[in-house]
Amino acid sequence: MKFKDYYETLGVARGATEADIKSAYRKLARKYHPDVNTEKDAEERFKEVGEAYAVLKDTEKRAAYDQMGSNWKSGQDFTPPPNWNEGFEFSDGGFGGGAYEGDQSEFFESLFGRGKHRQGGRGGHSRQDQGMHFKGQDHHAKILIDLADAYNGAKRTIALHMPTLDASGHVTTQERKLDVSIPKGIKAGQNLRLSGQGGPGMGEGGAGDLYLEIDFHPNPLYRVDGKDIYLDLPLAPWEAALGTTVKVPTPAGTTLELTIPANTIAGRKMRLKGKGIPSKEPGDLYVITMIATPPADTDAQKEAYQAFGKAFEFNPRTHLKG
Amino acid sequence: MTKTNITWIEGTIVENEIHMSIVELSQAASTSEELIMAWVTEGVLSPTGSSPQDWRFGGDSLSRTKTAVRLSRDLEINTPGLALALQLLDQISDLRAQLVRIGNSSKD
Repeated sequence: MKFKDYYETLGVARGATEADIKSAYRKLARKYHPDVNTEKDAEERFKEVGEAYAVLKDTEKRAAYDQMGSNWKSGQDFTPPPNWNEGFEFSDGGFGGGAYEGDQSEFFESLFGRGKHRQGGRGGHSRQDQGMHFKGQDHHAKILIDLADAYNGAKRTIALHMPTLDASGHVTTQERKLDVSIPKGIKAGQNLRLSGQGGPGMGEGGAGDLYLEIDFHPNPLYRVDGKDIYLDLPLAPWEAALGTTVKVPTPAGTTLELTIPANTIAGRKMRLKGKGIPSKEPGDLYVITMIATPPADTDAQKEAYQAFGKAFEFNPRTHLKG
Repeated sequence: MTKTNITWIEGTIVENEIHMSIVELSQAASTSEELIMAWVTEGVLSPTGSSPQDWRFGGDSLSRTKTAVRLSRDLEINTPGLALALQLLDQISDLRAQLVRIGNSSKD
């Protein structure tokens, strides 16, 4: 296990006041909040900052953490000294608690124990609730699918990782496999509700539901805006000028023939109606033209460009008065 | 891979097909009905129906409510602040969509 320097995480000195710690935490929490920050590691950073704050905002936990001394460096191999917390009294009835239950690092748990495990039902029903019936908790997970799955529908076996408590009270991650039918027409950001696949209910209350939030794997060809799809289509200068017919691949895996009219310019947006993500009102597939110019490497190619230049009285910079 | 007799679980697309009552929404987003009522008053959520018992929330209310729950819990923002944050997030998402349309996405 590696030592975590909570002061370093929050970027404050060991002697920082409560107010300093709070303001450092607030600033970092806003910066890394996964709803605000779309960087890949934002969520991880956000959790680290939350864990550091859970310790340093709490006078008792902070004092216990501090008495391990200031010689530890982040990332150093660490085992809590025996009886390290002797003589400390924790008013929250032992360790644990805090806003980040279930998300703490191994380091945090070895020092402060685990937060109260959230029970299957809501609000921590205890055993004397006999005869009470509660629907199980709803669960949420994010899954990535291919854009083609949204066009064609798909059957996918997905693996979800669920933190659970083992018999000795330690958190272990259980893998759960689900065979899910991905409906045609689903879009990024939408939720797929699987009835009865959430937490177990209590009494005669049914199981909760599982909500899968859908996102697409990044696609090298297509850009996605809701149900509309964008594709850049490079054309050779002579194809754009003279017109041609090109084959355009769709995310569904099919190919469309697209007629490029003569004198097509770069940046022209051609709409293929209804070829976006299917639904009652399907999206559109937009093809954006680009002009790709081949490099002039051989003598023959240079001559061709020179002949090209001679054939036109063309100044693309008239508006620059150049 | 030979797989036989798999029962594929069929789901329902929340945004297209589901309207939720306040009870269902509070269960699905793990928050209280009181907070949802406060957010409706502030205009963060806009259900149809005249009284809380009749309210029906469109499917897209779910992800909005989940975001609202996370922001208000993690950053301890009050309801007017939350309303502003969500409005700004909406604007950012509109701008991102515009970037997608003009193709300005990481072409280096």
